[in-house]
Amino acid sequence: MVIVDDHAIFRSGLKADLDPDIVVAGEAGTVEEAIAVIAARRPDVVLLDVHLPGGRGGGGREVLAGSTPLLGTTRFLALSVSDAAEDVVSVIRAGARGYVTKTISGAEISGAVRRVAGGDAVFSPRLAGFVLDAFGTAPADIADDQLDKLSARELEVMRLIARGYSYKEVAKELFISIKTVETHVSAVLRKLQLSSRHELTRWAAERRLL
Amino acid sequence: MTTPPARPPLVRSSDRVIAGVCAGLANHLGWPVRMVRIGMVVAALAGGAGVAFYAWLWIMVPTADENARRNARRPASPIAPAVSAPDSQQAPGTAGAIGAAGTPGSSGTEPQAAWRSRVPGMPFGKEILLGAGLLLAAGILIARLLGVDVPLGTLIPVAAILGGAAIAWMQLDETRRAGLVDKTKADQAGGWARLAAGLALVVAGVLVMVSGSGSWEQTWLALLASVAVLGGVALVLLPWGLKFWRDLETERAGRVRATERAEIAAHLHDSVLQTLALIQRRAGNEHDVIRLARAQERELRGWLYRDAGKESGQLSEGIKAAAAEVEDALGHPVDVVTVGDCAMTQRHEALVQAAREAMLNAARHGGGAVAVYLEVTDAAAEVFVKDRGPGFDPDSVPADRLGVRESIIGRMNRHGGTAAIISSPDGTEVRLRLPVTAAASAGTAGAAANATNGEAKP
Repeated sequence: MVIVDDHAIFRSGLKADLDPDIVVAGEAGTVEEAIAVIAARRPDVVLLDVHLPGGRGGGGREVLAGSTPLLGTTRFLALSVSDAAEDVVSVIRAGARGYVTKTISGAEISGAVRRVAGGDAVFSPRLAGFVLDAFGTAPADIADDQLDKLSARELEVMRLIARGYSYKEVAKELFISIKTVETHVSAVLRKLQLSSRHELTRWAAERRLL
Repeated sequence: MTTPPARPPLVRSSDRVIAGVCAGLANHLGWPVRMVRIGMVVAALAGGAGVAFYAWLWIMVPTADENARRNARRPASPIAPAVSAPDSQQAPGTAGAIGAAGTPGSSGTEPQAAWRSRVPGMPFGKEILLGAGLLLAAGILIARLLGVDVPLGTLIPVAAILGGAAIAWMQLDETRRAGLVDKTKADQAGGWARLAAGLALVVAGVLVMVSGSGSWEQTWLALLASVAVLGGVALVLLPWGLKFWRDLETERAGRVRATERAEIAAHLHDSVLQTLALIQRRAGNEHDVIRLARAQERELRGWLYRDAGKESGQLSEGIKAAAAEVEDALGHPVDVVTVGDCAMTQRHEALVQAAREAMLNAARHGGGAVAVYLEVTDAAAEVFVKDRGPGFDPDSVPADRLGVRESIIGRMNRHGGTAAIISSPDGTEVRLRLPVTAAASAGTAGAAANATNGEAKP
């Protein structure tokens, strides 16, 4: 994997914290460096800071935009000290597979990296809260456009994650397998990335996301 | 003339013969209706002036209920708002008629107009000024018709100079009035147009006066020459003026930046630097360091990401404040996620208190971070407090321990809500639910501790 963050201290600290079986193939501190390193190394996972110097000031979003051809093979996990809605949702919509805050522990981040590498999405309670805020808490009718609302099950999963449940606990609570939970979360992620639902747009506009 | 508020607004009355103009006028001026009607008929016989005046008022004066609607945004005034606008379209022939019909008011109008225009913020000052000017013009025209020799050759240039100067000087007053209000582009364009119009009028007036003859040919030549002179002066002064302007702008921008910087520096000094100093002194005590860092992070976040548009007194704020309190008291991280929001009521106060108690318990007995989730929907406000402690059996809590039983379950029930505590070796979750209306919850309020109504039903 590749770590992209503009603070060298944080990068080294993170490397020390990660599980030994996760290989850090490269590091970058600016938007240009990040795009170059990612293109050269083609890592499985990129830990991407949302706020980065360089480029045109777009930070993590610009790295994602610059790495579009790799989005199929390389997965991005956004990482930030900021938990402002505009930062979180904009990188997710740009293509990141998950979002974690920098206060997360080494073990948790290792788990998140593995999960993202496996093709799943990583939702923090806060991101789940944003999703619920954006999509509303009313479930979709079957007839509705599936992209525009969350299904009742997806809502339940999101609610539990927002309440601080781990995937395992969510699975236990809802009597479904962890795999099913992951499927639901991935579906929500896809909706969050693709939906152009007017309510999401309005929500985003209110928070100056677009 | 009476003071403005004492006079009813000029509107077309519903007590009408033709269009209610005379009745409205009589009401407005405080004269008997019959006198106004007779006067109108007499004026109509005098070359049709009354008819023109009547028609004009008919078109321009709103009816009573139209005016009532309009008054929602504009105060009542002695002159109906629409009356003054089309003055300029009046042909000289009817100007005399207006003069005749409007005379009763005109004697007092001029001094008052002068007084008005000097009082800032006085409405309709411009309209009255314009009316006075038109009356003056009408008077001069009548005088000319009657054979009095009016020195037009001097009067017109003087009027032009006065008008131009007035237009240009109006800006001074306006900028002062605008004060700190941002000047938009449109405003600036208007300002330039006004400046140009004022300049042209004054220059033309001065030229005609100085040349002393009304000859157009001479005036044109002089005008050309003066424009050339003005252009030359502008050419010389422009770089200097621009430089001055730019310096001013840079200085202003610099001052704004410096103020911003000072504000940030002051804030960082009061908060972050103090905390860092404290952390250095307590470096040995891990618990203290974490608590300090956590509190500082929360404070700084609040300052950086504060939402200026969000009003205070919301439920989410109450929950966050409670979480911060618990965090400070016990040095245990409490993460709050909120979805939806509503204004705080007394019942919500109880919800916050119960949630605070649950957070305290979770921070005290649980391990790891405490997760708090608030969801406000149309039906209810729900709070979930989850920790990863070893768990406990709610039923085995001794009766004398009031924390859970009284502060959480009892409090929620008293306010028409419900509380449930789900505990397992993996952690404990407290689920609080407060329906929007107390009545709606009456049926479920009895269901106490072990009810799983905390589970959100879609």
